[in-house]
Amino acid sequence: MQHGAQLAVDQINARGGVRGRRLVLRLADDSGSEDVAVIVAQALYDNPAVAGVVGHLTSDASIVAAQVYGGGAHPVTMVSPSASSPDLSGISPYAFRICPSDSSHGAAMAKFAWQTLVARRAGILFIGDAYGYGIRKTFAADFTRLGGTVVEADPYVPTTRSLEPYLSRMRQAGIDVLLLAADRRGAELALRQMQDLGIRPPVIGGDALAGIETAGTLAEGMWISSAYLPDRAGEKNAAFVADYMRAYSGERPDHRGASAYDVVNLFARAIAAVGPNRRAVRGYIARVGRGVPAFDGVTGGIVFDDAGDVPSKGVVIAIVRGGHLVAEPGE
Amino acid sequence: MTALDTIRARILGGLALLGCTVVLMALFSAYALRTIRRSETEQLDAVQRSGEVSNGVVTSVFRQINAGQQYLTAPTRELRDQFQDAADESFEFSRQLDRLPGLTLEQHLTVNRIKQLEASITADYSIAHALRDLGRDDAARVQSIAVLRPAADLTRLVRTFTAELAKHTRRAEQQLAVATARWEVYLYLALVIAVIATALAGYWTLQSVEGPLGRVVLAAERFGSGDLRPVTTGHMPRDIQVLADAMRHMGDRLRAIVANVISESDRIASSATDMSAISEQLAASSSEVSTAMVDISHGAEEQRVELITIGTSLDALRLATTQTAEAAERVARLGEEIRTVADRHQGSMAAASSVLLDVREVVQTTSKQVSELAKQVAAIDDFVDLIRRISSQTNLLALNAAIEAARAGEHGRGFAVVAEEVRQLADESARAAEDVTLTTNAIRDQVEDVTATMAAGTAKVRGIEDVAGGAARGLAEIAAAVEQVEQSATTVARAAQQYRDITERLQQQAQQVASRAVAHASSAQQVTAAAQEQGASTQEMAAAAAHLLQAAEQLRGLVKEFRV
Repeated sequence: MQHGAQLAVDQINARGGVRGRRLVLRLADDSGSEDVAVIVAQALYDNPAVAGVVGHLTSDASIVAAQVYGGGAHPVTMVSPSASSPDLSGISPYAFRICPSDSSHGAAMAKFAWQTLVARRAGILFIGDAYGYGIRKTFAADFTRLGGTVVEADPYVPTTRSLEPYLSRMRQAGIDVLLLAADRRGAELALRQMQDLGIRPPVIGGDALAGIETAGTLAEGMWISSAYLPDRAGEKNAAFVADYMRAYSGERPDHRGASAYDVVNLFARAIAAVGPNRRAVRGYIARVGRGVPAFDGVTGGIVFDDAGDVPSKGVVIAIVRGGHLVAEPGE
Repeated sequence: MTALDTIRARILGGLALLGCTVVLMALFSAYALRTIRRSETEQLDAVQRSGEVSNGVVTSVFRQINAGQQYLTAPTRELRDQFQDAADESFEFSRQLDRLPGLTLEQHLTVNRIKQLEASITADYSIAHALRDLGRDDAARVQSIAVLRPAADLTRLVRTFTAELAKHTRRAEQQLAVATARWEVYLYLALVIAVIATALAGYWTLQSVEGPLGRVVLAAERFGSGDLRPVTTGHMPRDIQVLADAMRHMGDRLRAIVANVISESDRIASSATDMSAISEQLAASSSEVSTAMVDISHGAEEQRVELITIGTSLDALRLATTQTAEAAERVARLGEEIRTVADRHQGSMAAASSVLLDVREVVQTTSKQVSELAKQVAAIDDFVDLIRRISSQTNLLALNAAIEAARAGEHGRGFAVVAEEVRQLADESARAAEDVTLTTNAIRDQVEDVTATMAAGTAKVRGIEDVAGGAARGLAEIAAAVEQVEQSATTVARAAQQYRDITERLQQQAQQVASRAVAHASSAQQVTAAAQEQGASTQEMAAAAAHLLQAAEQLRGLVKEFRV
């Protein structure tokens, strides 16, 4: 995410900045913690030079930070590249995101499992937080609605040492698909223990697993829902990916980097149009696609709804092949 | 201030201000009450919600543990669903903990810990259930025992959290009390401000109504005390302005009237003064007329006396004339005697000579008498002149009297008639005097003739003396001369007779003049009386003028009390 944002800032400043002024990227680390996020958000809020916030990365941090940014006398706009919790929708007039919400991911994955994988019995492993519960709920609802059966939905916490009992029970019960509404650590643990158990049903993971493709053969062949893929079609994306790889020694951008890149460019366009005033920037961003032209980013077209979401933005289910996330032909 | 240009608008403005103050006060009170109530409600809601959520967390976690434990002993689908529901519920409650308002960082951390414990309890039981399902009961029991510690921790944490919240609630209550007290102070302040604003509005209204009215009343009082100088009432509300204008107009009118009265009284005073002066002049004139009349009367008296004197003179004249006649008769008689003597003593020269001497003596005496007569006639001339002068003066006086009478107007009308009469009388006197003059001239001519005759007689007597020797002729001539003397004497006698007649007539006329002069004098006395009467009237007039003057002075004094 930082890489994507920095690349955008550098490119903009190389072009002469915005309104003749250089764009400066101030970095703040919330460590994915709500507690830290509140403090970081307050610091950014209190800095009058901040015209907009690119972030936060995670749902829980974004939810608490949104309440800080949207309050007081000088609210500042935040545009999250990747916070997908449905709880973020409409939480504040100053909170936006350019990624689809968990409900989109859950629905997309349920449909993929039912149609593409022709799965009828699903097992779910989910992390006991907002993200895990969100994906679990939407997937289970849609999969059940399509006609499938959720055989079991098993929670875990970061301290959970073994998922083997769940996996063994799933093997016993028999499942067609395993949904990993999990963080990367939990997902890797599950994949590893599945390997140990010798079971290998089709596995689908949420966008939180982005990056797991680099974990060697473990993730090979698993499906991951994502709002963005580096091999997404379009010149603009191709140029972005090339620039990104050139800038960061061959590293391929994930959906977080691409979204951060888009958010920075979106802010640059807003500031170029209405200046750095926080309210003006908010007014511009809220009207993107509804009064001012839609923003055509590397992650796709961006049009906000009243809740600050991008309902038009779709989710693609990609497969891990050879350490890369690639769009399955036909998807 | 044009909008507040009437008393009505000012009173309405004042009332509006009062109304606004009351409304503002009411709004402020309502706002304060609402704010207090809202914060109270918020506090209550927060307390209620935190209680509900805390209870919810604990209850659902216990239900979860309960269902989880039961499932371990008797795994049924129902218990598993119960556990699942309780787990979902406790997850929801623990998430709601996070959303409680006004959490401190510490409480956030506590909530995070509760969430972690809840998730971990759920996960541990889920794994225990999986183990139980897999038939690994011992492992499941071990796993379930591991749950007890986080469950105890969670219960403790929730209790701590609730206690924290209670503390927080108490603090909030204290804050609320402080806020309420602050609002109370605000309300009192607002009340004080409202009272001040009301007082100011009332004062302003009173001022803006009372001020103009007071100025008008002051102006009216000044008019009342007689100070009619123009008043400036300053800017007035429109409705009072009408009153002030009326007052000013009234002042202007009064001022004009008083000024008029003053000038009129001045004029009356000056007229009275003039009149007084005129009546004094008139009195002086009447006095003059009176004096003139007295003079006239006196003149008439003098005239009468003069006429009496004339009468006396005429008597003397007549006497002289009689004497002349007698002398003439004597001459005639002497002539007769001469002739007799001549007849008888024609030859007697000596005797004749002596007789001639007598004759000369007689002639000389006669001549002297004639001269005397001439002198008398001259005296008559003088008298006539006197009469003429008197009548001329009378005429002049009558003329003056007529003028004065004309000036005296109605009063002098009778006097004018008298004056005219006097004038005519004077004219007649003048004419009579003229007649006397003519007669006197005739007498003078006659006397001159007599004188000449006498001279011739004397010369002839001298001739007789001269021819003393011749008798016959002389005597004859004497006889002839005597004849002539006789004739002359007769003529003289006749003339004397005539003269006497004239003198008598003159005397009669003089008497007539005298009686007229008396009448004239009495007329003059009448005029004097009339003039005196006029003088009295003039004095009355002067007195009236004095009254008038006094009245005018009084009027002026009264009017002077007004200041204009």
